[in-house]
Order: sequence, then C-alpha cells, then structure tokens
Amino acid sequence: MKIKRGRETVVFQIIAMVVLAVCALISVLPFLIIISGSLSNNELISREGYSILPKQLTPQAYTTILRIPESLLTAYRVTIVNTLVGSLTGLICMSMAGYVLSRKNFRHRNIISFLIYFTTIFGGGLVPWYIMISNTLHLKDSLLAICLPLIMSPFMIILMRTFISNNVPDSLVESCRIDGAGEFSIYLHIVLPLIPSGLATIGLFLGLMYWNDWYMSSMFISTPAKFELQFYLYNMLSGFEAFKQMNTASVTESVSIPSETVKLAMAVFVTGPIILLYPFVQRFFISGITIGAVKG
Amino acid sequence: MKRRNALRGLIVMALAISPALAALTSCASSGQGAATQPPAASQATSSQTAEESAETSAGPDVSQRVDLEFMMIGDGPKDLDRIVGMVNEKTLEKLNCTIKWNYTTFTDAMQKYNLALSSGQNLDLIYTAPFQNYFQLAKSGAFHSLNEILPTYAPELYAFVPEGHWKGVSVNGNIYTIPCTYKQYLCGGFIYRKDLREKFNLPVPVSMDTIEAYLLGVKENMPEQLLTNEFPMAGVYQFNFSAINVLSMNHTWANDVIYGIAADYNNPNQLTDYWNSDQFVEEMKLMKKWADMGFWSRSALSSVEDMSAMENGKTIARLFGGTVNSVSEYNAAVETTHPDWEFDIFLYSDINKVVYPTHPTQDGIAVPIASKHPDRAVMFAQELIMDEEINLLTNYGIKGEHYDVDADGWYIPLQDPQTSSFPWDGMKSWAWRNPVYMLFPKTDQYKIEMYAKFDEVAGYNYAAGFQEDYTNYQTERAALGTVMTQYLQPLHAGLVEDVDAAVATFREQAKLAGLETIQQQYTEQWLAYIKSLE
Repeated sequence: MKIKRGRETVVFQIIAMVVLAVCALISVLPFLIIISGSLSNNELISREGYSILPKQLTPQAYTTILRIPESLLTAYRVTIVNTLVGSLTGLICMSMAGYVLSRKNFRHRNIISFLIYFTTIFGGGLVPWYIMISNTLHLKDSLLAICLPLIMSPFMIILMRTFISNNVPDSLVESCRIDGAGEFSIYLHIVLPLIPSGLATIGLFLGLMYWNDWYMSSMFISTPAKFELQFYLYNMLSGFEAFKQMNTASVTESVSIPSETVKLAMAVFVTGPIILLYPFVQRFFISGITIGAVKG
Repeated sequence: MKRRNALRGLIVMALAISPALAALTSCASSGQGAATQPPAASQATSSQTAEESAETSAGPDVSQRVDLEFMMIGDGPKDLDRIVGMVNEKTLEKLNCTIKWNYTTFTDAMQKYNLALSSGQNLDLIYTAPFQNYFQLAKSGAFHSLNEILPTYAPELYAFVPEGHWKGVSVNGNIYTIPCTYKQYLCGGFIYRKDLREKFNLPVPVSMDTIEAYLLGVKENMPEQLLTNEFPMAGVYQFNFSAINVLSMNHTWANDVIYGIAADYNNPNQLTDYWNSDQFVEEMKLMKKWADMGFWSRSALSSVEDMSAMENGKTIARLFGGTVNSVSEYNAAVETTHPDWEFDIFLYSDINKVVYPTHPTQDGIAVPIASKHPDRAVMFAQELIMDEEINLLTNYGIKGEHYDVDADGWYIPLQDPQTSSFPWDGMKSWAWRNPVYMLFPKTDQYKIEMYAKFDEVAGYNYAAGFQEDYTNYQTERAALGTVMTQYLQPLHAGLVEDVDAAVATFREQAKLAGLETIQQQYTEQWLAYIKSLE
C-alpha cells in the first residue's frame, strides 16, 4: 500500500533536490578542478587559467612527483604512525584521566579539574612553550615533539569526564569493588566497554587533529625525513612565496619553483587517502558530532 | 569543539602579533643572553683560553670535542646527511668538532629565528641577511661580537674578507656576522624576447623610445599576445607598481625615491623631492601613454607577480627590474621546452651608469649569543669558507656523483636539477660562497661577463646599509602608505583619466598625510648616515 504524497511534498522534494544538487556541485567543483588541473599541461594553465576539464591530458605532474616518491612516502609514514600512536596514547591517557576525575570518592578532584580547566583560559604563550619543548625537554627535531604536545587536551579530558559520569553509574563501580575488582580492572573491563561512542568521538577529534597538524613540524622539526605530510605539502607551496617576499630587494637565487600542476597533483596525493577513508568513518563521525553537541 | 577553536584562535592571535613578539623576543634575547652568559664573561673566557693555548702550543686549544649547530633558512638537499658526515670527518680531525645543519624551511622562517635566538637554545652559527632582520637582531644583542674572536681564531678568514665588508656589517662598531665576499649586482633592466625582435625586425631596446617601439611592434604582429605582467607592490614606500622601475634609467637614484625623496647616487648628500618635481608629472604621462597602448593589462592593479609567466609564453617582456641573473635563469628554463626562444636584457644602468653590488650584509654567518663555543664556531666558519674541499662539498656536493667540471671549468650537473639529491646551491650555501672556488653552469656565462664589467664601475650600495628609524613618524608613515595605494598606484600604472589632476590630488593628499614631516626626518637621518660613511 502506498502512502499518498501531497502536491506540496513533491514540490518540496524537487526544490530540495535541486538545492542539494547545486550545493553538492559547488562542493565537488574545486576537487574536479584540482584533479583536472593536475592532469593538464602546465604551460596552458599558466597562459589560460584553470578549467573543469583537463586541457591536453598529461600525467607529467604525477610522474614528476613519483620520480622521487621517497620523500612523499616518508611524510605519509610519519603522519600515519603519528596519527595512530598519538590517537591511541591520547585515548588511553584521557579516558583514564576522565575516569579518575569522574569518581566522586577521588578527594581532590575539584582542584585537579579546575587546574586542568585553568590551562584552557591561561597559557604561557608561544615563547615559554617553545622553550619548554626545545630547551627543557630537549625534544627539538625529535618525533616526540610532534606527538606529545597534542596527546592531552583539557577540553577532551573534561568531555570524557562528563561522558563517563553520565554513562557509568556510581553504583556499578561500587558493586564491582564489592565483588573484589581492583581499580584498574574496573576501568579496563567495566568502564571502557560502556563508553564506545565517547571513545570514538575523542578518537576522531584526535585523529583529525594529528592528520591535519603541520604546526609542530614547522616549529620543531628540521630533518625533512621527519616532516608530517601536511607540512611537507604546506612547505612546498608556501616556501617559494616566502622566499620571494624575502628576496624582493635582492638577487633572486635559483630556487626550483614547483609548477602549478605539480602543486595540484600533490594536493591530490594528500587529500586522496582521507577522502577514501571518510565513507567508513562517517558513521562514527556523525554520532561523534551529536555527542559533542549535547555534552560539550 | 568551541574551546578547541578558542585554542586555535589563541595560536592565530599569537601568530598575528608576531611582529610585536619579534620586538619582545629580541628584548628577551638580550636579557636572556645577559643572564646565561654575559658577553663580557664569554670574551674573558675566550681570551683566557687564548692565553692558555698560547702558553701550550702555537694554535688555539681544540682538545675538547665540540658539537656545533648551524641554523639555516630554506630546505636542505636530500643528501645533506652524507655531505655533513664527510664534512665532519674532516673537521673532527682538524678542529675536533662536528657540525649539524638545521634548516628552518622558508615557512615562518623569521618567527623561527626569533624563537630560536630568544629561547637561548643551543646554536653556534646562524645564517643572516637583511630580510632576516640582521640589523635589528644585531642591535638587540642576539649575536656574539666577533671583533676580538675573529683575528685570534680565524686570522686567515679575517684577512681574506676585505676591510669594507667588515665595516659594512658592523653595528655600533661591532662585527656581528661574517659577510660573504661574492659580489652580486642588482641593477635592473628590461627583459624581452630576442627571438621575437629578430622575427619581426624590431629595433633593439636601448632607450625609452625603443622599448616602446619594440612592445608596439610585438603587439601589432601578435595582437592576442599579453605583453607584460606588471603588478602592484604592497607595503612599500618607493615604487608601488612594478613597471615604474623603467623610469630609473632617467635618474641616478641611490635610494629608490622612498617617500618621494631622491638621493643622487653620484652625490648622496644631495636630495630632491621627486614627487613635487615637473619630471614626475612628465613621467606619469608616459606611464599613461604606455598603459593606453596596452603594454600591461587594464586590470594590472589586481594582478600578482608571476615569475614563470615568461617561461610559459604568457608574457614576452618584463619592465620590472630583472637582473642579469634572471636572464640566465629564463634562458636555462626554456632551453629544453622552447629551444627557439631567447631572452635578452637591456640594462637601465647602461643609461644612468648607476651600478652597485649587494650590501655586505646580504649573506652572512653570525654566532648567536647562546653559543658556548664562539671560538670553535668561528674556526669552523673559516674552514667552511677557506678550505677548498669543504667549500666545494657544501656548495655543489660530491664531484663525480652530483656534479662534474668540464674542460673549460663549467659546472655540469650529473642529475636532473628538479630531483637532484644535491643541486647547485643545494645547501643554500649563499653565506659561505668563496669567489675563488665558485663554479658556475654554462648558462651563467652572460652573468659572469656582465658582473666582470660591473666590477670595474660599481660603487657602494648606499640604500641597503641605511637603517631607517621611523618610530617618530610612524603615524604619518602609515597614513602615507594608504594615500600611496589609493592615489599613487593608479598614477604609476597609468590608469587615470587626467594625469595633471591626479597628480594634484595625490600631492594634496600626501601633504595631508604628513609627507613633509616624514621627508624632513628622513632627510636628517639619511644625511647623518652618509656622513657616518665618510
């Protein structure tokens, strides 16, 4: 049996589809231009500008990059390892911190919560932070320097705490203790399985933060083999601009200028994997956003 | 999510105030330096070690092994580690020290300099240049003064660099950086496609009229072809439209007419007010004529610099001060893609006879105040510049693998320059180029010939050594900047209806902005500077 649809519903659906189609087109167009540009002839782009369909199809940009794929692959490896290690460690640390802070019988929890919260309002600023990491911790040019600073985020700890105290009743923890469970096994076997969507949310936040990070590389890394992917790209694109500005008043020395098409091909290489990953992660991502919206 | 954004906002804010930060950090650096290691104390220790070594042996004491760090801007080559390993082998043996090069990349290079120098992190050598705020950093005490260390620990280098260079890099009588002695020349010129000139039988551009005839000729024969890609230059107080560089051939300016004040190159004490002269009106009329002839686009004021426009055939000429260096580069760039193209340059200095080299501060190596071993750092710098093997290795890589030298002494790359693991200049070795050992690719032949000619006639680069202090007229200067963008830029680009009226409006607005105050104070400073040179 069919439910009869009213005229207005049909009209609304048509309008909605048209509007959505236009929106989708607007979102997809830049990608199309990037992809078609990366397949075009560089001289034509410079002379006539970009177009939606490639002019003079040529894989030249890709072959240029793939002639020396090592540096790109190294950057990929750094970012992937960093994202995995950082997100996992971060999840463990923050869920533990959140759990401890959610326990009502933890004596100084208010003070400690406040201290964690305090850092979101007042920070030392860039210079002390830099001195801390480079001179006190001696992490300059170490992979730890791009991993450690992002591991703990006050906001996410507080989010985690709220999430745990809302989803894990105190009585459950108490009865576990009566049954003889130790603190760590309560955390591991009782609390963690109860908060999968909380972990997914924080994990996604962290994962995206690590994947998109370039600033840590820029600040602390001087060995190109330790650059994150995003910085590798950013540096390639911005480096020449900066160089040009510095040198407006002096002799331009030979600096190889990446051609337009090579830049675009790089963009394809960098965005490609994360776009392919999206359909699989999207499910969690949507639930993650709702959690953030309600509990944040 | 919100707070994460807030955090990011903080970082963005921090970045935005980085100029202020630069000022702050430079203060901090002097404070820090004083706290951790007072310059006086360090000099005491160095002279002490000198005495000790003088007692025990003839050379300086190198019994303690030192690991030096060298901060550079830009990106290093792929084979950096191998080359550094080879350098270290030699320096360990000779100076008992190793070196590590740290490249900042070009991204936020200035901010990284400020952080590294102010945080007191361990650094022994650093690349300096005017665009990396050499003078400001030197004044704020970021570097060791080398006056006493150099003659003691690097006598060979000290003697090698000419006296004028040491004087040029001095700040308040202190040498803070070791200047590069390779001379480069900045005189601008009109770069154009020589093959088109021959094809259409056009006159050789050797003056304003012939430039005009050449461009008109190309336009007639190739009506669809865009001639030049001239663009507005933001934030400068000299010419703020690129094409205006062509006018320099009519003048003997020493300072690029900043604030409309033109110092005469042959007599730098003599200043004239260019913006209020009749010649200014005449020349703006010429610019309008050229704009009306279509020498640059009607939307030129919104275009941006495009270095590869000529290589790609988008444009065929460039009024904006190309150097002889750029001609070599353009010719090298089209060598394989368009072998029938050829670029040539008409130097504006052929007319006005003003040629000057880059300032000694252009490229240099300084010793940051945080360095615990300024003596060894200077000794290493001497090796880097004076030792032929190390110098060639760090400039061009390994002979037989990265490059070779042909029978005539030209540099021949053995790998594709785009992907080479050590291209020419791979280590951004600008600061330790030694003219005695330098190698050039054959495409540089023209540049070398021209530089040799310039060597005979060149004078002093007045403008680059002048450190303007505009704290007293900061407000007026900012107001003038706005006026220049609004009224002078369209004049320069010839995009006004009536030149006389537009000039009158510009003069009036500039006066309202406080041009007279600026000019007066600038003149005082400039004259004092010229006096200090004598």
